[in-house]
Amino acid sequence: MGRLFLIHLEGKIYSCKHCQTHLALYTDIMSKSFHCRHGKAYLFHKVVNVTVGLKEDRMMMTGLHTVSDIFCVGCGSIVGWKYDAAHDKNQKYKEGKFILERFKVSGPDGSHYWVSHDPHVGGVMLMTHDLLGT
Amino acid sequence: MGGVEDDEPPSKRVKASTEDLGRPFDNSSRSVPFSPLGGSMARPLPSQGKDDMIGSKGVIKKVEFVRIITKALYSLGYERSGAALEEESGICLHSSAVNLFRKQVLDGNWDESVLTLHKIGLSDESILKSASFLIWERKFFELLQKDRIMDALKTLRSEIAPLGIDKKRVHELSCCIVSPQQRVLLGFANLGLETSNSRLKLLEDLQKLFPPTVMIPERRLEHLVEQALSVQRQGCYLHNSLDNSLSLYTDHHCGKDQIPSRTVQVLQAHHDEVWFLQFSNNGKYLASSSNDRSAIIWEVHEDGELSLKHMLTGHQKPVLMLAWSPDDRQLLTCGMEGAVRRWDVHTGDCLHVYEKGGLGLISCGWFPDGRQIFSGVTDKSTCLWDLDGKELESWKEQRTTRTSDVAITKDGRWIISICRETAIMLVDREAKLEKLIQEDQTITSFSLSSDDKFLLVNLVNQEIHLWSIKDDPGLVTRYRGHKRSRFLIRSCFGGYEQTFIASGSEDSQVYIWHRETGELIKALPGHSGAVNCVSWNPANPHMLASASDDHTIRIWGLNRANLKRKEAYSNGVTHQCNGKGQ
Repeated sequence: MGRLFLIHLEGKIYSCKHCQTHLALYTDIMSKSFHCRHGKAYLFHKVVNVTVGLKEDRMMMTGLHTVSDIFCVGCGSIVGWKYDAAHDKNQKYKEGKFILERFKVSGPDGSHYWVSHDPHVGGVMLMTHDLLGT
Repeated sequence: MGGVEDDEPPSKRVKASTEDLGRPFDNSSRSVPFSPLGGSMARPLPSQGKDDMIGSKGVIKKVEFVRIITKALYSLGYERSGAALEEESGICLHSSAVNLFRKQVLDGNWDESVLTLHKIGLSDESILKSASFLIWERKFFELLQKDRIMDALKTLRSEIAPLGIDKKRVHELSCCIVSPQQRVLLGFANLGLETSNSRLKLLEDLQKLFPPTVMIPERRLEHLVEQALSVQRQGCYLHNSLDNSLSLYTDHHCGKDQIPSRTVQVLQAHHDEVWFLQFSNNGKYLASSSNDRSAIIWEVHEDGELSLKHMLTGHQKPVLMLAWSPDDRQLLTCGMEGAVRRWDVHTGDCLHVYEKGGLGLISCGWFPDGRQIFSGVTDKSTCLWDLDGKELESWKEQRTTRTSDVAITKDGRWIISICRETAIMLVDREAKLEKLIQEDQTITSFSLSSDDKFLLVNLVNQEIHLWSIKDDPGLVTRYRGHKRSRFLIRSCFGGYEQTFIASGSEDSQVYIWHRETGELIKALPGHSGAVNCVSWNPANPHMLASASDDHTIRIWGLNRANLKRKEAYSNGVTHQCNGKGQ
């Protein structure tokens, strides 16, 4: 692949788990209480070094949304999605914002997030950084 | 030129020409008499009388039109044709007084010519005086040349000075009598004063004083045609040819056929993706750099074909970019390992390696005098070295860490670099001024136009912006259509007078826009991988080169149908390129 153009962030950085490409800053987190199939997800105001996929409508826990998956430019792995449109008025605040799945990224101190083997036990995940609050 | 005598009083002639054959002069000015030739011979046809205007728009006065054609015939040397036209049309080029005047000037009958001058019927006193001055001055100099000093002095005293104009010149002339050097200074010491050429020149100078209707300006028809051609040429917005000869038979209008759109050569020598390429300033070489850790210098031959001249190895990591020295004799390459190398183009030898301990050099360029080089460093500074590696200057905190583009204008004054994700800073080294280009999106790369007045800025959101940077930076045009989502894709100026913008694209095509209008002209398929960089040959507007992830470089030229003749710069040689045609 050609010469990658990467934006380099400074501060507390979330990066791609596989290739360590910078993705977002801790200071850009809007909310930590999102969830996805693999567990926790954070809503970010701004994310860099991702390519945006095609728009599609998805039914989520909070209603119908139009979203596009986002992929790390370094390795191409899917790291989350972008909200294009929310059909519910209460959800409009998400439009133009990004979700990074906690499972797909390395935290600012390099910590990772492991999904428990038992998906049915939802919510009971053991991870070090929860105690640290990252 | 007709049987009417010159000494007939003007009034008689005016009466004779009341039948409107087309007066060549405005009714407002005192009419200078002319007459149709030989009375009965050139009686106007009744229908012609009212037809003063010709041409479909009715803006061309027939009499004027015929007179300038007549003038053109005479100046081309076709005396008989000129005379025949005057006779047949009944429109005189010049009044007989003017004709006499011209003859007298050319023969050097100065005194008589001044007399005739007053008979031409010029109303403006100052014109008469200026014209008389020129004639007497000429007489003065010719007398001086023949060493008839006393006569020259007499002319100066009794003829030139009494005119009462241009006193300074009169003083200069009197100095000429005394000092031969003064004559040299005034340009009149050379021989040939009496040649017809120099007298013609005097006539031209005189003509410039007169209203144009009295004596038709020299080469007027040629001037009008040149004007028309110039308008056509300016209106040809796709013009892309060094050949500036336009035909008079049809309006000039370039189509897209003047823009390179066909692969004429595929250069396969790199073992990996080609990331950067650039033609030398004189267009005789092309340098390319690749992920395979090498750079290659290609030679551009007279017939437009390129061949490998040197392969430059030595970098330990992919070569990010390169820069030609202003005299094209040396090349700088920048490797991802953080070192810059300087090479001799002729021998291919590495002359120097520049490194900065512990830091990485991520771009390189030449100072306009070719004796200093600069480089962007990973600690956000920009460094200036002399050729031996001694650090001369360092500008700190002016750049982002990884985005590497830095440029210097040809006068060595302005340093241009990406200072923030969305902004480019231009710093005046001397005046310590700063100008800023602020964008809404992240900037990936930029390139400077050859006249240092414009900056082409590539953005993450697949737009290319043209900024004017001469005074306060201002956005001029946007170019869209190409694809970019992951890589550093570069664009460039190119074509005749840099009328076009070209760019690479992640969809494997080369994109070409018209610079002024922003219109997308061409998207050229052919590569089988993202096109990372393009470069337009500065010496050949028909040659474009592109570098791609498919490991090749493509040279683009004109379409086959238009290669009528083999000029030095035409891409006459074609090569088979992977059987896909275009």
